[in-house]
Amino acid sequence: MIIESFKHNMAAHCESGTLTALLKHKGLEIAEPMIFGLGSGLYFGYLSRTPNLNFPMFILRTKPGKLRKKISQRTDIKFNTKRFKSQDEAEQELDGLIAKGIPVACQVDFYYMDYIPQWERVHANIHFITIVGKEGDEYLVSDSYFPKLARIHKDNLRKARFAGGYLAPKGFRYYIESVPETVNYKKLIPVAIKNTINNMIGVQPPFIGVRGIRTFAKKLQAWPKLTRDVDHLSHEIMKINVFLEDQGTGGGGFRFLYATFLRQASEILQNKELEEMSKKMMEIGDGWRNISYFAAKIGKNRDLGPEKLQELGQMINERADAEEKFYKELKLVVNKIK
Amino acid sequence: MGDNIGTDLKAEIKKMIVETLNMQDITPEDIEDDLPLFGGENTLGLDSIDAIELVMAVQRDFKVRIDDQNLAREVLKDVNSIAAFIQSKAE
Repeated sequence: MIIESFKHNMAAHCESGTLTALLKHKGLEIAEPMIFGLGSGLYFGYLSRTPNLNFPMFILRTKPGKLRKKISQRTDIKFNTKRFKSQDEAEQELDGLIAKGIPVACQVDFYYMDYIPQWERVHANIHFITIVGKEGDEYLVSDSYFPKLARIHKDNLRKARFAGGYLAPKGFRYYIESVPETVNYKKLIPVAIKNTINNMIGVQPPFIGVRGIRTFAKKLQAWPKLTRDVDHLSHEIMKINVFLEDQGTGGGGFRFLYATFLRQASEILQNKELEEMSKKMMEIGDGWRNISYFAAKIGKNRDLGPEKLQELGQMINERADAEEKFYKELKLVVNKIK
Repeated sequence: MGDNIGTDLKAEIKKMIVETLNMQDITPEDIEDDLPLFGGENTLGLDSIDAIELVMAVQRDFKVRIDDQNLAREVLKDVNSIAAFIQSKAE
């Protein structure tokens, strides 16, 4: 059984890509950057301590699941969501939905997606895929990061849906019950942009938004004290590159994706100023890409003396300055929209 | 792919690769149009850091942005695919 009408596409980011594909399947044509922007997905957070992770990390988008919740709050799109305690129940329910022709998005541990080369796979409980069929013991998977429909054995999917640890999926799945005929973009775009501005320069704790970027630049200088040796430090520094470029960010730490949203918003609202802001956000993304490259290079070469970390911190602080200026300007632009 | 794309563009791309990645033992002429850039044997053997360097070099030298990592994987397969991408953006 395969849901033939489902169209597989690659996407920049798994969560927005999955959502976009499911909405298109339901008949609502909407682009991935628009989903990302309308869900106020852009973010920054520096997390000194995270459950089950013994090293600081930073995030560049809102918490997994929040994008969909925001979209749900802001539009008349109706989602059906469920978590499970029983693996058997989760599998039986999934089979039943597929048999009815309903594609189902599942939260999974990325590591078990064995159609992806092993060297690219890491344990991350925040990956989203869409199950679009089942043949024998294999499910047919639409994965935003894979060029065509893939297959996964049912045992592997179980492991992926019920992996333990930080942000454990607990069998979480959702599908779309109904979509509106149209989305009121003119009303929602300013609301969503204001939300992002508030996340980045509103009153936030020091580890969130632009303040969080500055905290990251500062705390980074102490990373050598948190690491066992130069290999460990190198690994953590190179993860900056991974978070900015490889973790479904679309590159530039989601900034390119948000820039595309602003360009699409400018077209919908016929607002030239938003188009200019889109270009500025692209340049901000380029700056993050430079950081990504610099971190990867000094990490790979084990060139991790204090002066290099200071240079990296300086580059990150420059991003904070650029983003603060950007959101202040964006606030003026969006406040003018009637 | 790439049959209709000018050899000059491909030569420029090969030069960009060699110069950007500071390759000591390889000349632009050594790189076949369809030689895979990444992977194991019978490839140019580039890694993920080389990839981001090439993404930035393509933007710098050819004024086209590769703003999506999935797109980067497709574009940076070989010289032919880079040339096709640059040409598609120019059209």
